[in-house]
Amino acid sequence: MKIIWIALFVVAISACKPKPIDPPPAPPETVRILVNPTFASNALMLDSIYQGPNGIRIKVSDIKFFTTLLGHQNNQLAEVAYFDFREKGNVLLDKAADYTKFPSLSMVMGVDTSLNHDDPSAFPNESPLNIVNAGSMHWGWNTGYIFISVEGKADTLNDGIDNFDLSFSYHIGTDLYQQPISFNNFSWVKTGEHQHTLSLELDMQSFFFNPLQPIDIPNEPFTHSGAGLGALTQKVTENFKNALQLP
Amino acid sequence: MRTIGIIVVFACFLNSCGKEKVGYRPTPYTLEIPSHFPAMNIPADNPMTVEGVELGRHLFYEKRLSGNDMMSCAACHTAFTSFSDSAKYSRGIDGIQGTRNAMALINLGWDSFFFWDGRAITLEQQILEPVPNPIEMHLSWKEAVSKLKKDTYYRNQFYKAFGVVDFDSTHAAKAIAQFIRTMISGRSKFDVMYKIENNLPLSAWDQSVQITNEEWAGYDLFKSLNGADCFHCHNGPLMRVAKFSNNGLDESFSDLGRGAVTKNANDNGKFKVPTLRNIALTAPYMHDGRFKTLDEVIEHYSSGVHMSPTIDPLIEFANQGGVQLDAQEKQLLKAFLMTLTDLEFVNNPKFQDPH
Repeated sequence: MKIIWIALFVVAISACKPKPIDPPPAPPETVRILVNPTFASNALMLDSIYQGPNGIRIKVSDIKFFTTLLGHQNNQLAEVAYFDFREKGNVLLDKAADYTKFPSLSMVMGVDTSLNHDDPSAFPNESPLNIVNAGSMHWGWNTGYIFISVEGKADTLNDGIDNFDLSFSYHIGTDLYQQPISFNNFSWVKTGEHQHTLSLELDMQSFFFNPLQPIDIPNEPFTHSGAGLGALTQKVTENFKNALQLP
Repeated sequence: MRTIGIIVVFACFLNSCGKEKVGYRPTPYTLEIPSHFPAMNIPADNPMTVEGVELGRHLFYEKRLSGNDMMSCAACHTAFTSFSDSAKYSRGIDGIQGTRNAMALINLGWDSFFFWDGRAITLEQQILEPVPNPIEMHLSWKEAVSKLKKDTYYRNQFYKAFGVVDFDSTHAAKAIAQFIRTMISGRSKFDVMYKIENNLPLSAWDQSVQITNEEWAGYDLFKSLNGADCFHCHNGPLMRVAKFSNNGLDESFSDLGRGAVTKNANDNGKFKVPTLRNIALTAPYMHDGRFKTLDEVIEHYSSGVHMSPTIDPLIEFANQGGVQLDAQEKQLLKAFLMTLTDLEFVNNPKFQDPH
């Protein structure tokens, strides 16, 4: 009988023992895409003063854009990636993925038509396209999302006095202004034990003062991609695309 | 006999391994989210429960959370003003006036920062502030909790909601946050317009709502870049975007707003963009309650905008003082703003004083 007592005691005690902990799974491989805004060769700081070749001085307060359908051939890296320099810093994308599947990258600069007119409330909570996250980057179901937003102020008088009294706001959207963009001949850089990073540069001097088609800020301070400002909208779209490059 | 004894001992051993608390079985609360709204993010450490929401409602109306037992949260967030304060500045229990207008409590479950200057980043964090604030309810949370612990209802309800006997301020904040997350407004004329505009299914109630031509014209004006241009900061079903903005109230700032929090001069004069839902009920307007009527607000954006170093670039007509609406346009815009009124929300018995 003693044996039964002992056996029961051992069983009962054993039942309370915590189960052995499995070793933690290996962290997933992740990739990051960074976008580093610059003004010529210097890192761009929001709300700092930069001078263009024509003497005009600018302060950029916001740079935001969407890219969609990021991938290589049939391998999709992400459905959407959102850049918001003020709120999120220079990270365009950070997700679990195997970098070896993406020796080059293509994407849509903007929100692809297949997503652009969906219910913005129906995207998952974590999606940048969910209306709670997109916020000011959504115009409406019909017009869709703002693909590119560059905002700030300009001092148009080259008199040495700070007087940034001209606001500029370039909002590119509507399906007409989506554009494909691709990056080839680059190498992912190992930036952590399980992390690889691709860094891009966004040269805002080239955006504003592109030698071939500079934006005439005093006379072209706004576009919302309406029909009446098609030429400016096209110029802003092209300049932005060309300003985003491999270093 | 010996066998029974063995079985009893064995059962005791097994039971001793269980961690479940006796009598603590909270009921999950299902939020009634309008079909055209996004899903709400609920913090993992504060799941919605029927017991938590009910406790939160009691606490929201609980005057013992103030130093003189005379003031509850509802004192500055009254139902008939869509849970805002009709006073320009609220007065605390010592008669001291605040410096900002109390914000309306509408659809806060979707917000990611709170107060006009965004100094709180969770609802739970925001709720902890007014009780000990000397110009508001002026009572330490320790004393407040001590008062609540003397009440059988609260002792039981905190246990039902959180499984704790020794509850504290964090449990109170969680309960009030749960209650506030249920305060969802999504049944106004505007909601019907939003659904019609986007070809969303209409309920029987939606179909019974009559939208006038004036209201539609006002909505067009609201969205027009060359009209009132309101939608840059107030859009989507929540009727706001998550940002801080200097909307041209002043050339220089007596209240730095967001700048006082970030210590960044580029944020001076910026305040949280509020929802426009129930805007007709939430006068006075702006962070300092300077405008008594919607007409005054419309006039501000039409001709009263002041330039300053941090003015929002989206206020594109700031150089000329505003968007320059004529009398008819102002009337149309006001007609649209009135469609954002949701009386079912303010009269909802689930949001009223349970005491």
